[in-house]
Amino acid sequence: MNNGFGSLLDRLITETAGSYEGESAWSLEYAAGMFGQFMESSLGHFSPELALCATIVCLLLVRLFGCDKCCQPYWVALFGSLVSFGLAYYQFTDLQQTSQSEEFFTGLLIYDPFTVFFRLFLLLFLILITALTVLSGIPDDEDAPDFYCLLLGSTIGMMLMASANHMLVIFLGVEMTSVPSYVMVGFLKGRRQSSEAALKYVVYGAGAAGVMLYGTSLVAGVLGTASLPEMASRMALLVGEAGTMSDPIVRTVILGIMLVMVGLAFKLSLVPFHFWCPDAFEGASAEVAGFLSVASKAGAFALLVRFCLAFAGNPEGTGTLKEIYLYLGLGLGVIAAASATFGNLAAYSQTNVKRLLAYSTIAHAGYMLMAVSAMMVILNAPAGSLHDPLVDANRCLEGLLYYLFVYLFMNLGAFAVVALIRNQIYSEEVSDYAGLGYQAPVLCVCMGICMFSLVGIPPMGGFFAKLVIFASVFKAGQVHWLMYLILIIGGLNTVFSLVYYVRVLKTMFVDPRHADARRADVPFNSVPGLYAVMVTVPVLVLGIAVKGLSETANQVASVLFR
Amino acid sequence: MEDLGKQLSTLLMVAWLLPFFGFCIEVFGGYFKWRLTKTAAYIAVGCIGVGFLCSVVAFMQWGNATDWVVFESHEGEHHVSADHDEAAKSHDEHGAKHDEHAKEHEHGEEHADEHGEKAEGAHDSHGGHAKPAVQTAFSGQIYHLARFGELDISIDYYIDSLTLGMFMMVTLIATCIHVFAIGYMSDELTESYEDHFVHTSDGGHFKRPGRFYRFFSYMSLFCFSMLGLVLAGNIFQVFVFWELVGICSFLLIGFYVERKSASTAANKAFIVNRVGDFGFIIGLMILWTSCGTFRFDNYEDHHGHEQPGLFQMVRGNDGHVTQDGDAVVLKDVHGEPLTDASGSTKTIPYMLLVAAGLGVFCGCVGKSAQFPLQTWLPDAMEGPTPVSALVHSATMVAAGVYLAGRFFPMFLPEVLLTIAYVGCVTLFVAATIAVVATDIKRVLAYSTISQLGYMMLGIGVGGWGAGLFHLITHAFFKSLMFLCSGSVIHGCHHEQEMPKMGGLWKKMPVTAFTMLVGVIAIAGLAIPGTSIAFSGYHSKDAIVATALQFVDDNPVHILLFIVPLVTAGITAFYMFRLWFYTFAGQPRDAHVYEGCHESPSVMCGPLLVLAPFAAWCAIGGEHGKLFSILALSEPASTEVVHASHDIHTAAGSFALVAAILGTLTAYLLYGKTIVDPANIKRQFSGLHTFLVEKWRFDELYDVMFVRPSHVVGKWCAGVDKYIFDEFLHGVVRTGIRVSQWDRKFDEGIIDGLVNLVGNVTFSIGRSLHVFQTGNIRQYVMFIAVGVLMLFALLFAFSFAILA
Repeated sequence: MNNGFGSLLDRLITETAGSYEGESAWSLEYAAGMFGQFMESSLGHFSPELALCATIVCLLLVRLFGCDKCCQPYWVALFGSLVSFGLAYYQFTDLQQTSQSEEFFTGLLIYDPFTVFFRLFLLLFLILITALTVLSGIPDDEDAPDFYCLLLGSTIGMMLMASANHMLVIFLGVEMTSVPSYVMVGFLKGRRQSSEAALKYVVYGAGAAGVMLYGTSLVAGVLGTASLPEMASRMALLVGEAGTMSDPIVRTVILGIMLVMVGLAFKLSLVPFHFWCPDAFEGASAEVAGFLSVASKAGAFALLVRFCLAFAGNPEGTGTLKEIYLYLGLGLGVIAAASATFGNLAAYSQTNVKRLLAYSTIAHAGYMLMAVSAMMVILNAPAGSLHDPLVDANRCLEGLLYYLFVYLFMNLGAFAVVALIRNQIYSEEVSDYAGLGYQAPVLCVCMGICMFSLVGIPPMGGFFAKLVIFASVFKAGQVHWLMYLILIIGGLNTVFSLVYYVRVLKTMFVDPRHADARRADVPFNSVPGLYAVMVTVPVLVLGIAVKGLSETANQVASVLFR
Repeated sequence: MEDLGKQLSTLLMVAWLLPFFGFCIEVFGGYFKWRLTKTAAYIAVGCIGVGFLCSVVAFMQWGNATDWVVFESHEGEHHVSADHDEAAKSHDEHGAKHDEHAKEHEHGEEHADEHGEKAEGAHDSHGGHAKPAVQTAFSGQIYHLARFGELDISIDYYIDSLTLGMFMMVTLIATCIHVFAIGYMSDELTESYEDHFVHTSDGGHFKRPGRFYRFFSYMSLFCFSMLGLVLAGNIFQVFVFWELVGICSFLLIGFYVERKSASTAANKAFIVNRVGDFGFIIGLMILWTSCGTFRFDNYEDHHGHEQPGLFQMVRGNDGHVTQDGDAVVLKDVHGEPLTDASGSTKTIPYMLLVAAGLGVFCGCVGKSAQFPLQTWLPDAMEGPTPVSALVHSATMVAAGVYLAGRFFPMFLPEVLLTIAYVGCVTLFVAATIAVVATDIKRVLAYSTISQLGYMMLGIGVGGWGAGLFHLITHAFFKSLMFLCSGSVIHGCHHEQEMPKMGGLWKKMPVTAFTMLVGVIAIAGLAIPGTSIAFSGYHSKDAIVATALQFVDDNPVHILLFIVPLVTAGITAFYMFRLWFYTFAGQPRDAHVYEGCHESPSVMCGPLLVLAPFAAWCAIGGEHGKLFSILALSEPASTEVVHASHDIHTAAGSFALVAAILGTLTAYLLYGKTIVDPANIKRQFSGLHTFLVEKWRFDELYDVMFVRPSHVVGKWCAGVDKYIFDEFLHGVVRTGIRVSQWDRKFDEGIIDGLVNLVGNVTFSIGRSLHVFQTGNIRQYVMFIAVGVLMLFALLFAFSFAILA
């Protein structure tokens, strides 16, 4: 090795993945070989996160040396996100061939297609949201490096959540996601509302974190391990197949599980842990609200799925313990139904678009939770009641992943339009949107498409996503009747939700514009117009060409059931 | 050999697709601000020129790879046709020839035997063509479009010597005409083109931006379509490109769309062609239902089995049509009867096959302006002259003849006889009209129709090679003459009436000279006793000879020989009349004469290039190279007729005498003016008017079709208005009444219910405000309450199940 950096790299790689037996001269082939070898190591598995870390350091340095005049921070952030996305994409294509599942960093994290799928998802979203902030100019030049540091940091936290294999990482991931989010919510420093929202968010988050930590300590303390893959076997060892709720150990563990889920429910803004959500969204800028509504939910869902499967992932088991998990699943279902109903009904009377969308995200978290609930119910069905529970459970996850992907575009689209309109008319009140459909037709049509997709009307992507989830819930209904009820509630909710979305659209397209209102001129061929179209088109595409994504989602989900 | 097929198809595909590529660019000329530049023209010329080179390279490659069997086999063919009654002798000669072959070729023995057998087969089938052992025809698939059930729709190629010949002819002529058009269309290179033929209401002329680039983009599209038609490997593909050339023709005839005459002519051409295409479609449907494929040649289906193409199905290996009662037995790739899945033999009723043939021929009648659909072609002369030269004389109208030739194996004797008579009528009618026409382009247009009639006649009487031979030679001399007439029109500032010209050869020598070459060629003049003859003599001689042979075999159809013979004289007459009228004698209109000038070199160049081809492309006649190239592709069909040597000589002499007589008459009437043609005109005024009115076909069609359809149209409109509309209005009125009722029901009951639900949910939604107090202490308390609640819920559940 002929330089210091090379030897350092070499040592890092050899220590984490064994030595590379190739040509030792620096050549393209050697570099490619090294890269391949590097990607096999723990550091390599972690490379997208590392790239983001490096970007954060760069962002800080850029400001430190005063280069932010010549090199805009968003370019650094965008470049870093793209590099990270590229690495994740490499991993994804790599894994699609081998579809291996591998623990790394001494079992703290796990590297499998599910992880990488979420990385891709989060990074794609990060890129889109960064682009949106560039367009809407929400962090001013002064604060831009800080803002992007927080954004990237929060994303790293979410990626950690998606690859968590250990209770410690679960907590770490949730906190790493939350802390930057608190700051981002309060980022509009001049606004009192914003600071208030941030404070509420912090306090509420702290409470939830406390509960979650308590749950973690209960579970880890009783089972003697914090590693997720060992949970189920430890549990079986401690209580046997016939554990019931009368057993104090079982009771303690279930309490712990539930407390951890409360922490996640906070992140997912599920009823009754959603109170922070409308206030925080109203106080935060639309971009941040969009980010929180999609990305942190995606991370939390990945975590929830992993956590649930750690205990209840084995459909072969028998006994009363399984029954308890079944009821846990039903409990999730009840919460899901409650969230969907509450979110939709509470959105009715909202006058602020962001607040309205905040309630809408609560409702959507409910729909998505139905998939997890159905998965739990199906996996813990009494033996013989389902033909092939694994396939059905796989279908549930496929629905969840599909929903998340569509949700990314439709929710981002809606929030982006809110942000772009805000830049024109300086208002986020529904009543101020009156007649906008004729001044900024592109934005409003995009908003319309996104909202119809949120309702779940064909041929928008939201329809197919909802269809898959409802189909899974129907399947779970064959195990327990309660799921049918949840399905009916879900279906009714779809109808409820139509009202408040259409109310916004009606204001936009039917009501006349006030003569003295500010004009909003966003032509089709302007950058914001094109951005809105770019985000909206996938909503339509995913509603029509469903095969590619649903097959990928199915494939990705299947690794969790082996 | 597989490789050769690939290479050829690639080369021809380049030649075929380049003009399309050019079209795609040129059509945006207005957008690129090319209105005042010749860029579009250069692109078009470049594309078609490269296409010509590709075609030539393809031909050379084909020739080399097949050891130029095309010219060798001709020798054999000559022996067969000349001495076909002395079979034994001929066979010996073949034997001798085989020995030579055996020395020449490594696989001599096998080759020779096969050749021998084929030659024998040829004798049996009355002069049928001896097919060489080397593969000379290639077919395959370029792109698979779709499969509907068992029907494959694909883009195929079928390349034989006819395809190659047509490619070279079309691309060469098109290149020349494109170059010519650069000069001819140059007055379009302006922002404000004044159209002198369109008068505005204020007495001025219509002005519009020039359309130079548009003209060339249409021309490129046309070349693409025409080459696609020639390359096509299945009849459906032919149909698609058939329609494409149709639309190009429509666009080009209507190029001066503001002139009413032009747009009417474009419509007329399009509509008349639709009539023909209607028959074409019927033919296609019959073929598809009975044969299940559109491909000409054998092909591999998607299971990898070799399947028979249309020709193989009908003709089998030996060119015979096998009949089973009233049905024709279809054959598989080995010439055995074709069986379907259930094992029964596939047949097609004889009359249905006749109908299919007539249907496809109907398309040819439309496109090639044959009787009774000939009326559109003279009107099509409204297009710019280069268009007339390329589209309406040399290539597109010849496509009908080409298709008749390509589809020859599918034509049964009844169909061929129809073709012959249609051609016969056409050639006579058109020639008589040409005698009295005074518009220089119209004379040429009628002569085109007449010559197309000759080709059809040739094919109809079984002279496959003769018909297509005339197609090629005619393409050269007719495009030459059209370009010359274009040059005259350009020089005389858009004067087209011959009575206003005269003596122009002094002013435009190049044009006059090249025109004379064309005229001699089409008149079919030759010096008796020598082999010095222009191309038209050879090809027309071949047709007349075949017709005589046919009449010799079937004396009933004597008209099929007499009419073309007489018309050969008329042809010579009206063509020389045109030349003398225009170029010789004294100027009749001083104004026109003064303003007249020779065309620039960009226009004269193509004339000088085409002239030698017009004169000598057929050199050697039926022993020459051009004919042997075409004859190699002659289908294995028992309907092919070859004229014997004696008949050939006789027919040739007759035709020459007729042509010389025609020429002399023209010279005496219009060159020397020994009798004033006006006197003759007066004496036969009835006949003259009849001819000037084009045999009154337009009036006839007007009475027969146009007016009745107007009446029917009015009647339909009346029925529509007074019966259907009234009915519909009644229905609508009832509907309105019902919906008024419905509305009351809806507003009162349904909406009431919905509003009730809405109000309830809305008030619930509002009441949810109560929880969202904004009080942070309360929020945190809710966490604790929530956890406790959940835990209680779970315990309740689990105790419930344990109980």
